[in-house]
Amino acid sequence: MITFKILLFSILKEKVGQDTIELKVASSLTGEQLLDKLSSDYDSIHSFRSVIRLAVNESYVHESIELTNGDEVALITPVSGG
Amino acid sequence: MKNQSLWWEICEESLSVESVSKYLFDSRAGGVDIFVGITREWTHDKHTKMLSYDCYVPMALKEMKALLDDAVERWPVVKACILHRTGLVPSAHPSVIIGVATPHRKDAFEACRFLIDQLKIRVPIWKKETYADGSEEWVDPTGKHSPPLQP
Repeated sequence: MITFKILLFSILKEKVGQDTIELKVASSLTGEQLLDKLSSDYDSIHSFRSVIRLAVNESYVHESIELTNGDEVALITPVSGG
Repeated sequence: MKNQSLWWEICEESLSVESVSKYLFDSRAGGVDIFVGITREWTHDKHTKMLSYDCYVPMALKEMKALLDDAVERWPVVKACILHRTGLVPSAHPSVIIGVATPHRKDAFEACRFLIDQLKIRVPIWKKETYADGSEEWVDPTGKHSPPLQP
């Protein structure tokens, strides 16, 4: 079993109603497969799917990345600091 | 986090321009540029009471340091800093301060502009507007989402 911690911020945190999703899956996933799964599980993530950037262990990554057990994944909607 | 030449920080308390200028003023520099972003009260016909910021703190700090390192590679930076506030920021109060000290002014202007422009693209910080009528809205730079949330 592979476990991921998925972090949500700003509008996704509000829409989903929590700041973390714990996900357990049977076999390894790519970033893209993870986003697809989250999109089908959560309507609010689905509606932001096209603008979400993926960060793994605090760095931006391409969706083709192979995720490994224990990775901390963050869903980064368009940022608006400053 | 702060060293001899770079300072990057996410603060919950108010930001001080004075402490930034104190850090940046250095006899090796001839030009110091300081950009301060503050909470604007009016955007077209929308009346903002305050902004609140959400932040992925450890990643934001890494990205801020990476931006400062990029600036050091591209310009002759004597000192540079990026400070960003989180939580509630009332109108006219600073939410971000970016400062660069270089031997000549042209480099300070360019590096300072680079840092604030890149911060708005890369650093995982998000702002929410709270309007005078009580409604709230996450700022969406792509303009695709975030209809106002009624109180």
